[in-house]
Amino acid sequence: MKNPLKSLLAVTTCLAMGAVLPAAAGQFDGITVEAKLIGGQQYEGLYGRIGQWEASTGATVKIVSKKNHFELDKEFKSDLAAGTTGWCVGSNHSSFAPQYPSLYADLSPFMDADEVAGFVPAMISASTVAGKLVMLPRAQFDVSVLYYQKSLYEDDAKKAAFKTDYGYDLAPPATLDQFKDQAIFFADPPNFYGTQYAGKDEGASGRFYEMVVANGGRMFNDDWTPGFNSDAGKEALGWFVDLYKAGAVPPGTTSYLWDELGAGFASGTIALNLDWPGWSGYFNDPESSKAAGDVGLVVQPMGSAGIHTGWSGHHGFSVTEKCPTPEAAASLVAFLTNEASQIAESAGGSLPTRTAVWEHVVKAAEGDEFRSSALNVFKQGATHAFPVPKTPYWIEASNLIYPELQAAILGDKTVDQALQDAADAVDEMMQENGVY
Amino acid sequence: MFKIKLPTWFVLILPAILILVAVVLIPLLLSLYSSFTPYRLTRPDTLYKWIGTYNYEKAAKSWVFWSAFGRTVLLLTIALNLEMLLGLGLALLVSRVTRGQRALRTVMMFPMMFSPILVGFQFKFIFNDNVGLVNNALQSLGVTTAAIPWLVDQKLAMFSIIFAEVWTSTSVFAILILAGLFAIPKDPLEAAKVDGCTPWQTFRHITLPFLMPFIYIALAIRSLDVARAYDIVNIMTNGGPARRTELLWTLIGRTGYVDAKMGYANAMGYVSIFMAIFFTIFFFKKLSAARAELGMAG
Repeated sequence: MKNPLKSLLAVTTCLAMGAVLPAAAGQFDGITVEAKLIGGQQYEGLYGRIGQWEASTGATVKIVSKKNHFELDKEFKSDLAAGTTGWCVGSNHSSFAPQYPSLYADLSPFMDADEVAGFVPAMISASTVAGKLVMLPRAQFDVSVLYYQKSLYEDDAKKAAFKTDYGYDLAPPATLDQFKDQAIFFADPPNFYGTQYAGKDEGASGRFYEMVVANGGRMFNDDWTPGFNSDAGKEALGWFVDLYKAGAVPPGTTSYLWDELGAGFASGTIALNLDWPGWSGYFNDPESSKAAGDVGLVVQPMGSAGIHTGWSGHHGFSVTEKCPTPEAAASLVAFLTNEASQIAESAGGSLPTRTAVWEHVVKAAEGDEFRSSALNVFKQGATHAFPVPKTPYWIEASNLIYPELQAAILGDKTVDQALQDAADAVDEMMQENGVY
Repeated sequence: MFKIKLPTWFVLILPAILILVAVVLIPLLLSLYSSFTPYRLTRPDTLYKWIGTYNYEKAAKSWVFWSAFGRTVLLLTIALNLEMLLGLGLALLVSRVTRGQRALRTVMMFPMMFSPILVGFQFKFIFNDNVGLVNNALQSLGVTTAAIPWLVDQKLAMFSIIFAEVWTSTSVFAILILAGLFAIPKDPLEAAKVDGCTPWQTFRHITLPFLMPFIYIALAIRSLDVARAYDIVNIMTNGGPARRTELLWTLIGRTGYVDAKMGYANAMGYVSIFMAIFFTIFFFKKLSAARAELGMAG
């Protein structure tokens, strides 16, 4: 053994973690693995564990870039253009992964089948692009559930008024129609709004996409022609337009993205909020949220086809095709996504992507009523999850679709005209890219 | 062995030529070439496929492109003229201050010291419809009970962007014009006073003609530099909503780096460059005319 001290450290670490590391001790002595990782407070905790992998394998990890996903995406594209993709490990996301058909290697040859079987099967499916397992999911799974202010539903006067106006009992919404009714009912602008939605970028297209699916429609047909200009699409876009026209959402919602939405619900001025799991702790923390102690969660509502919304995504790690040491890189990816890593990362509130870790997280939350109930809702919500359409042109299509959605919401175009224009633009883009 | 004897003057400027070729000319030629290809960042092989003027034809036929083009010209016109007028006013006021003028000049330059990204975030918060300072102030003062969508409304969104841009760049004009004011000889001003000219006549017929070269220099610099407003627009609205604030810069940036269509983005970029060249020539012609009027060499 080249470095007995490092090996001893590695064995001790393994025992301490109670986990079996895929790499043999000292296996990658002297190797440096360059990594480009997503940065941000909620993601950093995991990187603190990299030292353990270094100690156990003898390799060194050099983080050459740390940015948010949108900035990383631009950097990856520039790297592809310049042919500088010799770094090894990159943060990836299921929404972005299909864009890089030539950047990342198939991880299957480096992984034990049992290792892969430990992940939730839907996550592995969403991480597989054109038959290649391009990333292993980390404990950062996202599917939106419905947050609401509990006190609104316990107010007898509101209950009676709602029953009179809408003819059914006031309870957290189970359908998109109920969601809309209640958002309009609770709204009292400019001080209080029924709901809010992501109004730009992939946030707007993604919400529209999940509602099209929930209404029984499809974003794209089998031949990748646009499928959203349909009755289901018109119903979905109509939902956004109706809420905006009724003043049930903040007038600036078309310029909101996740941070603004999170801050909005935490300010206590939003009744219902379809949002990601990562916000649950923040929303119920009195230090950061005026809604703390009054936060309820229900499974995301169903559309007119009886299907729940469920646009989902997850973060993961990939290995580049040009990585000179793919075994070491794959070992690092396996380490960062193994059970011990997922347990450590999900302790921060994010959702795991491994079946066994789900069980661990649920058990660890026993005694914490809010966390337990939230996890229960997330678990149910996850059963309805579906990823973005697996085309390299999803982001490009999204950039053509969301300005048209905004135009309809703001009244610049009718729903029919906006969807027709969006479909024409996506159709032209697909043809230009030789998709059909 | 045969030796090439280069002229001394050429040897002396050769390093400058080499640097310019490496950092300006080659990238320009490469981007010009790529604008005739379907070059996608994610598919480097597309750089070698020649498609002629397809990208330029596509831009020429694109309503989205021409709307962004028109909006960019509008922004340039309004922002530059407003900055010039406000900068002129500010410089005239500061030039009359006798005590603490240095401190005032320093304070005046504060907005220039902020990075455009920070300015973008600052004004995005100030104009936020729900928790923004402006709406809260207006509602607290009883001016309105509504949440005004500053960054969403068709006209208000462009106004908000122009406001942010004017706030950050007016001091550039003010400083350059102030330098011009200090350079004006005192004799004509005193002669005008003796001849009984009103302050307006003095300003119109003496001060302003002397200042015009400085104003045109400032306009020429700012017309090239104004594209830095990309950061402000990108943070405040990113061209939205519904493309209401889409400018050439946001459109080109998204097309090139998010959609990865660098060939098409470069074609649009070249139209943008031609526009910048047009503005520069226009302002330099005006500058030469103003200098000629003052009897200075063209």
